[in-house]
Amino acid sequence: MKNLFYKELKLAVHPTMWLFLILSALVLIPQYPYFLVFFYSCLSIFFCALQSRENRDYLYTALLPVSKRDVVRARFLTVVFFQLLQLLFTVPFAVLSLRSNPLGSNPAGIECNVAFFGLSAVMMGGFNLSFLPLFYRTAHKLGWPLFSGGSFVTVYICIAEALSQYIPGKLSAFLDSKDPEVMKKQVPVLLCGLLLYALLTLAAMKRSERNFEKVSL
Amino acid sequence: MTVLSVEGLCKSYPGFALDHVSFSLEEGSIMGFIGRNGAGKTTTLKSILGLVHPDSGSVKLCGVDYAAHEAECRRQTGILFGEVDYYLSAKLRDIAAVTRRFYPDWDEDYYRQLLRDFSLNDAKRVKELSAGMRVKFSLAMALAHRPKLLLLDEPTSGLDPVSRDELMGIFLSVVRDGGRSILFSTHIISDLEKCADTITYIKGGRVLHSLAVDEFRDAYRLVSGGTEELTEELKGELIGLRTHSFGFEGLLPTEKCADFPGLCAEETDMENIMVHIEREKEA
Repeated sequence: MKNLFYKELKLAVHPTMWLFLILSALVLIPQYPYFLVFFYSCLSIFFCALQSRENRDYLYTALLPVSKRDVVRARFLTVVFFQLLQLLFTVPFAVLSLRSNPLGSNPAGIECNVAFFGLSAVMMGGFNLSFLPLFYRTAHKLGWPLFSGGSFVTVYICIAEALSQYIPGKLSAFLDSKDPEVMKKQVPVLLCGLLLYALLTLAAMKRSERNFEKVSL
Repeated sequence: MTVLSVEGLCKSYPGFALDHVSFSLEEGSIMGFIGRNGAGKTTTLKSILGLVHPDSGSVKLCGVDYAAHEAECRRQTGILFGEVDYYLSAKLRDIAAVTRRFYPDWDEDYYRQLLRDFSLNDAKRVKELSAGMRVKFSLAMALAHRPKLLLLDEPTSGLDPVSRDELMGIFLSVVRDGGRSILFSTHIISDLEKCADTITYIKGGRVLHSLAVDEFRDAYRLVSGGTEELTEELKGELIGLRTHSFGFEGLLPTEKCADFPGLCAEETDMENIMVHIEREKEA
């Protein structure tokens, strides 16, 4: 697994996976739909799959002394590595954003608060489940997986923004708050989000392994 | 000792099927795997490696079930599927740096020597290499971990005659120490005349012959004669019959030659045998 992960970083990873980590700084923009930070992260996974296909990575990897299951697991390790890195990179920028602009509100979307991180984690887990198993059905067709993953992210962002922004009530007031006291109460949202991310990604991996096992290379 | 044993390999696709493909490869020998395009050579090789899941059949490497011990068997196998056509923008040294990590037996000195022998500059990118040089790079990586079995699919396609001759020399030197064996598919039969010990001939997904090269050559005679000598009985026996204004030419199984005394029956080369056998299909 260590060798396959090395192969992923050395050969397979698309430069945007590194580059888009910088986009964590987008939360510094006072009025911006912050979910886009993690949307870009999902997009970079698509680019990585696209690059793997164009580089015929699966032909190269298929000839190595590794099982197909490990090939899938190494890709998931890479995806999780970059998604968690994106979450971690965004934290200091979010803190800076909250401190530099404590009173202003973001009319373009959710505030970069604790709940935002939990909701973003769920979004990435959902993307993993809606994109990667479909990709591993063929390991080369990307249109339908992109449609599936892209649709999920779009619908998810719309619902999350609606709940936190546009449907007035206690829930939106809670989710959209950047009051330090409320943010403490948002911690369970973050933890549940991370747990859901883990479960969704695990389900995606199991499904991808099953699908890829059936693929003739 | 049998290095590779393939038993009853079957795989069905719409319009094509591998039909109980069986053969075995002995230690220290080179087997040519021949057949025309689409005969099932690559599908057989991919089925051996598990890249294609066969419907039935078994593959053993040195007595060990290949599918059940895939990773271990792969470590003992050097694989080449044509030229390197992956990671075209990557430098050779980067691909090699990744590849060597998967093989505990990777011999870096041997790899460096192969690069020198093949005049390969590992600072170059794959896309900067010619087709022949890409095959050589692929071969260097397949050889560098000194595998027991080399499984090569069309290694000589796209190479000029000099490079092909060089490769045949390399194959012979690889098996000379006795510990290694080569199975390579090709439709360039003249390559096999130079180095193969045995021939496995596949046609339409079925193994037609799996014999020593001499036995394969001796199995058929090229028969020719005048129009009056072409009897109905002979027509029924001839393979790849071709008639012309002066007479005919065709292939006859050697054991049938005695049934037709007086005919001009000559030894012929493997390429001629294959051409006649394949022509029969079209007739």
